[in-house]
Amino acid sequence: MTPHHLSDDRLVEVSLFYGVSASEQRHLESCPECAARRVRLREMLDDMSASSEAAADAQFPASRLARQHARILAQLQHDGRPARIIAFPAGHAQEPLVSRTHPSRRWIAAAAAAGLVVGVLAGRLGYDHSLLRPTAGRVVATRAAEPVEIRAADGAPGLRAVSATISDEEFLSQLEFASDGLAAAALQPLDELTPLPWEVR
Amino acid sequence: MTRTPPGLVSPLDVGAASAAPLSRDSRLAAEIKALVAGGDRGAACERYGELVAHQQRRAVRIAYQYLRDAHDADEAVQDAFVKVFTHITSYREDLPFEVWFTRILVNACLDLRKARSRRLRWSAPLTPAHDAKPIDPVARDQSPEQRLVSQERAAEIAAALETLPGRQRTVFTLCHVAEQSTAEVSHALGVSEATVRVHLFRAVHRLRRLLERNA
Repeated sequence: MTPHHLSDDRLVEVSLFYGVSASEQRHLESCPECAARRVRLREMLDDMSASSEAAADAQFPASRLARQHARILAQLQHDGRPARIIAFPAGHAQEPLVSRTHPSRRWIAAAAAAGLVVGVLAGRLGYDHSLLRPTAGRVVATRAAEPVEIRAADGAPGLRAVSATISDEEFLSQLEFASDGLAAAALQPLDELTPLPWEVR
Repeated sequence: MTRTPPGLVSPLDVGAASAAPLSRDSRLAAEIKALVAGGDRGAACERYGELVAHQQRRAVRIAYQYLRDAHDADEAVQDAFVKVFTHITSYREDLPFEVWFTRILVNACLDLRKARSRRLRWSAPLTPAHDAKPIDPVARDQSPEQRLVSQERAAEIAAALETLPGRQRTVFTLCHVAEQSTAEVSHALGVSEATVRVHLFRAVHRLRRLLERNA
């Protein structure tokens, strides 16, 4: 680049702030290269302005600006208005409570509530009393469980296991039945070696 | 002594701009000030509606260029207009309204940017410009290929502007989007005109380098 060409900085300066001097103007007229650089810079700046404006305008069409305008004015009118003062309901608690229900209806409601309480208490007491009295029903209630037969490995009939839910009497009778069975014979020598409870002191 | 509220420029700071003849909006602002001072708030609001309509397009362009988010720009512009009306009695009639308003708007944008950075610190990142429609800054009579090229160019320009440091970006936006002179920008930002020129010069250099590299 010859010393007569405009530097990049100078080109920016003349494009942004100052006009060109007479000598620079003469040079720009005679130098197509500098003139083209100046035009490119000018175009770039114009391009950026146009692009930025178009981007903003695309986001803010006329309808959006109108809504914004209305919001601004509404806010100004709202701000200018003095705040509404709502009277505090002072003394409201001191006012006597005036019931709007008839006295006879109130008696009916009270009697119904009392009856409900008595009924609940009586039911509760009856239930507790029944718990204190042993009944056959309670023992037999678990009878649904059937004994399960356990077979030995060689196919011989084994012990009949009992469910844990059967009664004491059934359990003892089942023990007796089992001790009489063939399977118990294998336990006889062991039984003979083992002292009985009443022999142990 | 009247105190200038935070976010507003003191009328004393913009004294040098008084040489220029007053614009239509400056006269309108002076009229609104007189109405508010006279207690006629309703009429002032009505006249202020006209002023808002005149300045609104320019305001959203500046705010959107600065914030790159339509919701934030909307909010900043609304805040600025409300603040201007609230403090209209501190406006000096012999000064350009546009400069005073621009200063308030830029401060509103700065406040929102700060708020946004605080908000983003605590929230999951969203996809950028989730509410943005594709930018189509070109004429509708262009061919699809031309439109595509223009859209790409617009995206490049937006990306290049995004890389500018804050002050350079503000100066560039005010000079080239708001079409303000360097003197007006210096008053609006409260810096010397020489500083504005330096920032603008650097911004253009940087943009030129970026865009020519991409071209």
